[in-house]
Amino acid sequence: MSDLHPYVSVEAVTRAYPGHTVFRDLWFGVNRGEFVCLVGHSGCGKTTVLNILAGLDKPDSGGVIVDGVEINGPSLDRAVIFQGHALMPWMTAEANVAFALSCRHKGWSKPQLREAAREALEKVGLGAAANRKPSMLSGGMKQRVGIARALALAPKMLLMDEPFSALDALTRGALQDEVSRLVQEANQTAFMITHDVDEAILLADRILLMTNGPDSHVAEVVQNTLPRPRDRANLHKLPGYHALRDHILEFLLTRSRELRGNPQPGWDRKALPVVRPAA
Amino acid sequence: MSRFGAANCGCGQHSSQFICDTAPTDGTAEFGHAVDNAALRAAFPATATRRALLERFGQAGVMAALASVLPLANMRDAFAQAAGTPEKKQLKIGFIAITCATPIIMAHPMGFYARNGLEVEVIRTAGWAVIRDKAINKEYDAAHMLSPMPLAMSLGVGVAQPIPWAVAAIENTNGQAITLAMKHKEKRNPRDWKGFRFAVPFDYSMHNYLLRHYLAENGINPDTDVQIRSVPPPEMVANLRADNIDGFLGPDPFNQRAVFDGVGFIHLLTKELWDGHPCCAFAVPRAMLSEAPNTFAALLRSIVEATAYAAKAENRKEVATAISAQNYLNQPQTVVEQVLTGTYADGLGGVKREPARINFDPFPWQSMAVWMLTQMKRWGQLRSDVDYKAVAEQVFLALDAGNAMKAQGLPVPSEAYRSHQIMGRTFNPAAPAEWTAPNIRG
Amino acid sequence: MNKQVPAWRAALVALGIFVALMALWEAAATSGGGTAAVDPEYAALVGQAAATGGQTPFPRPSAVALRLWELLRDPFYIRGPNDQGIGIQIGYSLLRVTAGFLLAALVAVPFGFLIGMSPLLNAALNPFIQVLRPVSPLAWMPLALYTIKDSAVSAIFVIFICALWPMLLNTAFGVASVRREWLNVARTLEAGTLKTAWRVILPAAAPTILTGMRISIGIAWLVIVAAEMLVGGTGIGYWVWNQWNNLSLADIVIAILLIGVVGLLLDRALGAVARLVAWQE
Repeated sequence: MSDLHPYVSVEAVTRAYPGHTVFRDLWFGVNRGEFVCLVGHSGCGKTTVLNILAGLDKPDSGGVIVDGVEINGPSLDRAVIFQGHALMPWMTAEANVAFALSCRHKGWSKPQLREAAREALEKVGLGAAANRKPSMLSGGMKQRVGIARALALAPKMLLMDEPFSALDALTRGALQDEVSRLVQEANQTAFMITHDVDEAILLADRILLMTNGPDSHVAEVVQNTLPRPRDRANLHKLPGYHALRDHILEFLLTRSRELRGNPQPGWDRKALPVVRPAA
Repeated sequence: MSRFGAANCGCGQHSSQFICDTAPTDGTAEFGHAVDNAALRAAFPATATRRALLERFGQAGVMAALASVLPLANMRDAFAQAAGTPEKKQLKIGFIAITCATPIIMAHPMGFYARNGLEVEVIRTAGWAVIRDKAINKEYDAAHMLSPMPLAMSLGVGVAQPIPWAVAAIENTNGQAITLAMKHKEKRNPRDWKGFRFAVPFDYSMHNYLLRHYLAENGINPDTDVQIRSVPPPEMVANLRADNIDGFLGPDPFNQRAVFDGVGFIHLLTKELWDGHPCCAFAVPRAMLSEAPNTFAALLRSIVEATAYAAKAENRKEVATAISAQNYLNQPQTVVEQVLTGTYADGLGGVKREPARINFDPFPWQSMAVWMLTQMKRWGQLRSDVDYKAVAEQVFLALDAGNAMKAQGLPVPSEAYRSHQIMGRTFNPAAPAEWTAPNIRG
Repeated sequence: MNKQVPAWRAALVALGIFVALMALWEAAATSGGGTAAVDPEYAALVGQAAATGGQTPFPRPSAVALRLWELLRDPFYIRGPNDQGIGIQIGYSLLRVTAGFLLAALVAVPFGFLIGMSPLLNAALNPFIQVLRPVSPLAWMPLALYTIKDSAVSAIFVIFICALWPMLLNTAFGVASVRREWLNVARTLEAGTLKTAWRVILPAAAPTILTGMRISIGIAWLVIVAAEMLVGGTGIGYWVWNQWNNLSLADIVIAILLIGVVGLLLDRALGAVARLVAWQE
């Protein structure tokens, strides 16, 4: 394994309810400045993984170490972009971002907060819509506000829970490009869960493949060796793209089901098998 | 064992501690409680001293000592003529909007209170129970009450514990009537009234006792043959109109108002049952006599003056104008006028002339109080045996009222007891027992 | 089905209904006099209807309108404690309703918050609330009069009690149904309990709370009339009772009208506040 001291380290995490084990003894890591995607079918427990990373859910055993410290609940250092935009509908776009900023910077004055919020909104191209309430924004615009809110916090890590799944294809594509750009610019450490293969290939440095649940496990780590900067228009022209895509698709179509409760020979939960289909 | 029973009092002179505490000390009943208290307070201004003395020697002893150094007789006269400054000037007096309250009400617009140095607010109140409760809660300094109410309150009847209130003056005599719904036009014989629903203003009222007596004399058992409900006077006509009751023995102007609106007719005036019967009272808390004797005196003077003024037939129209306003009775003026002048429509197409329909005489005859107590006993309101005379003398302040009347140049009876003619029978206050049996005459 | 109609046409129909009702009323109220002839002296002493053997009839609309004008011309006079203008009476009632309502809000909103945020408290207090809530507020009156020994405060207490439940339940419901994701946002932002309550839960639950308040003020206005009939003294309810005892039916019709109008205004006022805090997704 390449990263002996990953920035984020998930260690021996188990989450189970009586009669229902979501996953057991989960191990993986995310390096500083790395973009990791967790791919799996609905019900495999990937949202639970994200919630545990965010501190919104607690593991039954095991723990998550971020930057050498075990996490204990949510933190401003791990900003979350929610699946539904999760904007407060009674606040304007600007007020939503300013609210987040006011939590980060307790001493800031109102004008300071407003200015920083506006700046964050301009970064996602929403400067003109700052004074609108969410109900006056399109789905894509709302999610941009959600992204602006998360990035404005300058978090150590960005957590994304299928952030584009509720959007139409065109908007989704535009936002994926946007996130890709912003994360690269800020060298932001990011963890995202998705079931969209192209999204994972576009954004991720590494892709964790999770088997179906219950009692799922991470079957392997796919190293995305496609060169950056990537953009959606040319992604499929990159050499190795099809091999990468086929590998993940094949996992989702068949192996995710076959490997459930039945790891391939030689599988080690602490040293996950790494594949490079595009290399 | 009643607290008004035959137990001996501390001083040994009286049949009970109750009388001993308050009875005039010279044995001649010459001066009123208020003079007593004023003299005591003047001689011993410090409450603690006064109390200690009273405890040590008893009121009789202290007063006897005082009499040897103070001209108590002169003080009595001085008190009656020019009393000191009222201890409390701003007073609230509750009243029920009926013509019985005429002196209490008219003393306000016609300036009788102001003339005696008082700033009185007269407050119209919804019913007798409310008057009683507000009196108990000290929201009112004095109140218009039905004359049996202070008796009942002082005895602890109908209230949680005895609340000593006193009748400083009688407001009015006569002035009530039995009004029946129009549909009973033909049922003028009370023997036909079985099953009727009657309203009286309050359980402890002359109205209740007179109606019961009238029914009993006519062979109707008031407890089993008819229903008698307590209904606040202002609600009587509305209830008659709504057919909730068949009739009422109630105060005016509501009898006349029922006629005015074509809702009922006047069956008889209570004057026909007992000419000169008392009805309402001007009541004060007993504590006022000792705590604010000057205020009490000023109030009593105002009321006696107003009562005397209202008693004169030639003033009645003026009084009617003064009290029918919205602020007081809130009635058509002709209705109030008919009550006060005694020239009235009877509801059956006739015009009657009875100048004594209502009268005003402030003197609180203690014999009347004894009759009321016999009726409380007769109808089961009073369970224990009490000394009627003792209670009557405690509650009906005949001496104080007499003094105030004397100061006005009004004739004052030499005694507070006399016999009364009630429905053809003579009531002798010395033989109250004859009146305590139910006696339904078949 | 629900086609738009021009406002003038609706107004015209409403006016037509009004005129028809008034005409019916005028016609119905005309009857009531009797036919018996009496001597003029007697007739002068009694009411118009009684003079001919009838009962004073229900007042006609014209008489009511005249009286309304009389009352509204000088609504704020005070002639002693027993004779005060209709505006003053309504003012007293509004004062009591406002006092009781504000007290109820002061109790209901914080408690509703606690109950809404804590499933344990919710379950523990629910039986009490369910038993007390359906009790007619007027049933509390004797208890209030006995313990408080002050009729003015008792009336306010009764308003307090009746206004309490809708606000309490709506606040609890509104708080309990705040979206999980907004709470999660607040958690990931490490917003403190107070900040979360103030900036997230309160605005999120505000429309529901306001609905409760609107129900409360409506009930309070209904109850104050009855309560004032019981305690007496001042207020529009006492005025109604007084006028009924005086058989002044015109005044009662007017009181009904005014009570309705004031109730409408109260509801509109809270409706305006509700629009201020409403949000749309």
